[in-house]
Amino acid sequence: MNKIILDYISNELTNEQLEDPLESGDDLLGSGILDSMGMMKLILFIENEFEIKVPPEDMVIENFMTVGHIITYLENKTV
Amino acid sequence: MSEIEKNINETELTKSQLAIWTGQQMAPDAPLYNTVYTFDIKNKLDVRVFRSAFQYLVKGTDILRTVFNTKNTIPYQIVLPNFNFNLELVDFTNGFNKSEYYKWVELRSQAKLNLAKCPFDSALIKVNENRFVWFLNIHHIITDAISTTLLHEKMFEYYSNLKNGDENNIDDLPSFEDYITFENKQSNDIQNHLKQEYWKVKIDKSYTLPKLYGNENKYLKTASERITLGLGLDRSKRIKELSKNMAVRSLTPRLTIFNLFATLLFTYVHRISNQNKITIGATAHNRVSQLFQKTPGLFIEIFPLLIKLEDQDTFLSVLQRTKMETSDYLRNGQPGMASADISRGFNVILNYMTSKFALIEDFPMTSEWIHAGHNDPAHHLRCHIYDFDSTGSLEIHLDFNTAVFDKELRYLAPKHFLCLIDAMLDDINQHITSASIITKEERNELLTGDVISTNSKASVIAQFESQLVENPEKIAIRFKNQKLTYSEINNKTNQLANYLAKQGVSKGDIVAIHLERSTNYITSVLAALKLGTTFVPISSEQPKERVQYILQDSNCKALISNTVILRKLESKKINLINLDDSAEDIENQTTTYISQASELDSIAYVIYTSGSTGKPKGVMISNASLANYINWSKGYYAHKDSYVFPLCTSIGFDLTITATFLPLVTGGELIIYTESSIGPDISILQVIEDNLVNSIKLTPSHLALIKDSDFSSSKLKLIIVGGEDFKSSLANSIQDSVGDDLKIFNEYGPTEATVGCIVSRYNSDLHIETSVPIGIPIKNMSAYVLDSYHNLVPKGVIGELYLSGTGLAKGYARNTKLSNERFLVNPFQQNAKMYRTGDLVRFNESDELEYLGRVDEQVKLNGFRIELSDIEANLNQHPNINNAAVVLMDSEKKAESKDIINCKECGLPSSYPNIDFDDNNVCHLCNSFKGYKEKTDKYFKTEEDLIQLLTSNKNDNRKYDCLTLLSGGKDSTYVLARLIDMGLNVLTFTLDNGYISDQAKANITRITEKLGVDHIYGATPHMNKIFVDSLHRHKNVCNGCFKTIYTLSTKVALENNIPFVVTGLSRGQFFETRLTEELFWDEDADGTTIDDTILEARKLYHQEEDAVKNHLDTSMFSLDSTFNKVQYVDFYRYSNVSLTEMLIFLKEKADWVRPTDTGRSTNCLINQAGIHVHKKERGYSNYSFPYSWDVRLGHKNRDEALEEINEHIDEDEVHRMLDEIGYKKSDLDNNKKQLIGFYTSKEIIPSVDLKLHLAKHLPEYMFPSKYKHLKEMPLTKNGKIDKIALRTLSDIQLESDVVYVAPTNEIEELVESIWKEVLQMDRIGIHDNFISLGGHSLAAIRVTARINDELQTNFALNKIFELPTIQEYAVYIESQLMELLQQ
Repeated sequence: MNKIILDYISNELTNEQLEDPLESGDDLLGSGILDSMGMMKLILFIENEFEIKVPPEDMVIENFMTVGHIITYLENKTV
Repeated sequence: MSEIEKNINETELTKSQLAIWTGQQMAPDAPLYNTVYTFDIKNKLDVRVFRSAFQYLVKGTDILRTVFNTKNTIPYQIVLPNFNFNLELVDFTNGFNKSEYYKWVELRSQAKLNLAKCPFDSALIKVNENRFVWFLNIHHIITDAISTTLLHEKMFEYYSNLKNGDENNIDDLPSFEDYITFENKQSNDIQNHLKQEYWKVKIDKSYTLPKLYGNENKYLKTASERITLGLGLDRSKRIKELSKNMAVRSLTPRLTIFNLFATLLFTYVHRISNQNKITIGATAHNRVSQLFQKTPGLFIEIFPLLIKLEDQDTFLSVLQRTKMETSDYLRNGQPGMASADISRGFNVILNYMTSKFALIEDFPMTSEWIHAGHNDPAHHLRCHIYDFDSTGSLEIHLDFNTAVFDKELRYLAPKHFLCLIDAMLDDINQHITSASIITKEERNELLTGDVISTNSKASVIAQFESQLVENPEKIAIRFKNQKLTYSEINNKTNQLANYLAKQGVSKGDIVAIHLERSTNYITSVLAALKLGTTFVPISSEQPKERVQYILQDSNCKALISNTVILRKLESKKINLINLDDSAEDIENQTTTYISQASELDSIAYVIYTSGSTGKPKGVMISNASLANYINWSKGYYAHKDSYVFPLCTSIGFDLTITATFLPLVTGGELIIYTESSIGPDISILQVIEDNLVNSIKLTPSHLALIKDSDFSSSKLKLIIVGGEDFKSSLANSIQDSVGDDLKIFNEYGPTEATVGCIVSRYNSDLHIETSVPIGIPIKNMSAYVLDSYHNLVPKGVIGELYLSGTGLAKGYARNTKLSNERFLVNPFQQNAKMYRTGDLVRFNESDELEYLGRVDEQVKLNGFRIELSDIEANLNQHPNINNAAVVLMDSEKKAESKDIINCKECGLPSSYPNIDFDDNNVCHLCNSFKGYKEKTDKYFKTEEDLIQLLTSNKNDNRKYDCLTLLSGGKDSTYVLARLIDMGLNVLTFTLDNGYISDQAKANITRITEKLGVDHIYGATPHMNKIFVDSLHRHKNVCNGCFKTIYTLSTKVALENNIPFVVTGLSRGQFFETRLTEELFWDEDADGTTIDDTILEARKLYHQEEDAVKNHLDTSMFSLDSTFNKVQYVDFYRYSNVSLTEMLIFLKEKADWVRPTDTGRSTNCLINQAGIHVHKKERGYSNYSFPYSWDVRLGHKNRDEALEEINEHIDEDEVHRMLDEIGYKKSDLDNNKKQLIGFYTSKEIIPSVDLKLHLAKHLPEYMFPSKYKHLKEMPLTKNGKIDKIALRTLSDIQLESDVVYVAPTNEIEELVESIWKEVLQMDRIGIHDNFISLGGHSLAAIRVTARINDELQTNFALNKIFELPTIQEYAVYIESQLMELLQQ
């Protein structure tokens, strides 16, 4: 799960070729790795890939700041 | 382009490109898509290398080699393989002149770019050796903000490499073609269907674009001006801080900024348009992959964000909704999802650009985005936010379309926007309407009014008396053949004053004047003023109850009236001055009287106006207010002749004050036209015919009445219109027919601000909008246009009108609460009040106020705010319409109300139509029943009588003595058991309507077996149709079911030679279906005459054209013999058994068990569906009425009745059954608000024509759903359109083609009043059909009885079916009465 998301972000979404490989603790939002359209693309990807639905109220920093956060969110979601 | 090679791919345009291409075609010469940047480079530059680099840039960037052409009008683009562009060097080194430079940039940036040849332009400006400016102008069709940053960076990459000699070391920028392919694939991808659907739904075709400051871009002008609003470091910092707030922040920091500005823009547009539902278009960058992030070209698409704002919203609550909206926007706003439809849905753009220009080593530079002076004409306002150069300070550009924002607004609007930014930064939790957005200068301008007190010290009566010195022998008043000079009228007035004084009337008293328009009226008013009293004018045609109320509420000391009028009044408590009886006494008084000097502060008159509570409210106007209006009008309306006014409008309407006083204080003449005692007051027609007056004051509706009169030799010089919205078309038509010598004025003013306080002179050249503006405040009056927070709204924006100044009333008589609600503390002036008018207005471009309707007429329909007057104005523009009115019919008012009270005695709910309760909460039916209860006793009989009747012609050839109707319920079971007990041979009959409960059926089987009687089930395949018809006609299922039972059982009885059908109707049901109070009015009436009438009614009942008649065989009912062969007998007419007795008997004899499977006391399952529909449509259960009678007659107690009426209804089950029988539930849900358009015209205009006409001017949601042609517009006594009357027309009346005509004579009025009472309708036209209105046999009994009672006639019951309209019946009555007279 971790790798799928990291790969998708690194290969599809980032604005620049990242200098260091993306890690699950990297701040995706504050650092500008992803902009809002990119974030939405990631959400659409996650919804598709893991067959869940992310409602607007879940779209908060707490759930999407890092790939780690996303994993936690998804785990809670699927429990 | 030098060379064009063949075999180049012709590619389709993306959606965004197509939108821009089309936009450019619409305005071919406007540089509306020129995307211009200048880069101010502060270093040495090798010009040769720079030009070479640019050539490399063109060579390596396909969009710069793209040109556009059309094939069969379809545009396509091609990328040329080679293209030479010679970068021009502009040399400013010979003395750099800033203004010259800017002029150059301005001119050059507006240069037209040729899409077919070269969609870009560039130049290098040399300022000096160390400073260059790179000018780059690219057509939007091939670029966007990010695209420009990519080109910029690439350009310097080429430059550096060339400079270093590394010519071939650079990758070209990626090709835009990839995106074209991708976008095309996306928009056709089936997976994106949901997203496209989302936008389709989002784009509400009926959405109206907000009018910013009330303005529109009617001629689609493209010119726009960009105003830069530097937020500065401080505000930018505060915005960044605010965006860290947990409640504020969104997913990303940039998204937070975006949402904050979207919130601000929503709020701003709401504040400057007074519209609640706002859509703004927001740009999406669409670079959704790493490749696209590096690709130059036009990627952006614009998608709408839509929010509904309410006054109680805070910035934060708007932000929260914006966040949700944005998240949907991002999810669905993917490449290729935009469409032309979508982009028509907004006129305000939010463009938040996050792109930045790269920092180029060795070349410190600042960029500037140059506005080319034009924008898409659909974009009235564009708000760009960016920080291109990473300064930390956000830049806001506001592009104002100059047709929408004039020069002044372009100066003010940014300030307004900034006010909102500051308000949000100060406190995001404050209401969006709490902060004022206007500037100090605007405030000062809006508050300037002639408020310096220059009040005259002379009261109106003093001014009248001064005419005695100036014009004593001039004619002051003409009335019929009477002519009175000033001194004569003064003498009469003095005599009356002396008489009144002797009757105890003295200064400070209140005197009601209830008279026709007459000399007596004028002398009474003048006498009242001379005495220093307050007069209360009450027009002669006021209904008795209203007069009584006014007399009581005004606390008046005396009532001046005459014999004819007094006849209808009852109150004798006050001092009556009957001018007829006292004529001699008055004439004997001395003709001198010294007027009491009344303080200007004292109350001159109290005029009662309609109140929303239904009770009129008295408006107290001081002598100072009256004098202020009269003094102003004296000068303002002056023409070269002295005023000759008619007194032709209602004295109870303050509009009439003008004519009452203006001629008499100026030495003019007043010609009095009295009202006719019957019918509408149309003296105005006589006034025009007589052609004696030069000045007239009236309402627009009255003016419309005389519109087509012959004015060829008219003396009219002055028309003052007031009281209603004044349509320009009407003003124009009058001006045309009377000529240029006529001055027409539109005077606006509620009674609470004394007659008129805002005025405009009609100018046919200037006043081309649909309504004549109301104008500017008169002397000593101020007008404020405020929002719901009492902020002054900017000019142009709609707000509510508040008034202040000398003309303001002292409040409402004895109603401090209401006074305090409407007369508020004036926040703009110390120690002053302001009156809340409830009228919506705005300032137009000429600074005149425009009336836009009532706040309470501003109705909300499906979430849209709609001004009814707007629709009316547009209907009035239809060439064939004379007058139009639009009302919102609110059938929801019928819905079950929560605060229902039930009659203390019978339990009848207050939601039952036309029910009155006394102080003890007892209904009027109970009370009136007490008066004729004894008489009803003779209708009821004993069981012995029944046995006698049923055995009267016992015949051995007959198998059965009677047929009895058995439903399986307790009442019918008891009937059966008793009949058996009486020793009768009984056939039992049950209608199986398909919904008899299983347990009820079991009861029937068990009982008939136990009692050993024959039983048959009747049925019809048409039952469901009958149910549906019954639900439409009667809003219940029972009526249809009953009629089916009667029809089928009569047939069975006829076939089996059975003489009697015995029903189990309860006594309460008799009063629902057979008996009416009227039947007992006749003292001599015995049971037989009542039976005869009921039989007549029954015959009529079976003739009604309904589903039963259409689907069952009812031929036998057309034969009178049927009613002789089969008689109906109501068992409970003969039995007075109580419920307890009944239940004991049933248990013993019949083994009857209460069914439990209906969940209710009934044995029929569909019954509750009928009750449900009835409750929804009528607001109460159809059992309320019969049960109340059961209680009244002592057959049930109130609690039992209420319990049964309030039984739970299983709505799911109801809906299932309604589906099953084919009743469209939409009929039920349709119980909604709808707009109805009424109009008068020579001929009926097809609805579709009206729709097409409105479609030119209005959005679809403002179309009335029905139109109704009226022969005449109903007017109130004051001559305004009577909207209450229109609103009370029933659905049936609206549906029918019958033209509404009010009664025209007394007989029609009488019949109308009786029909209204019996049919429980608020309004019936004389051509409405009795049967179509739902008048059935019982109603016929009641109507006929009442008419017979009133006229002492003996008309037959069936006459009403022969002559089913009021008009026809009235003619019949008249002929009958004439015949009687001749005898």
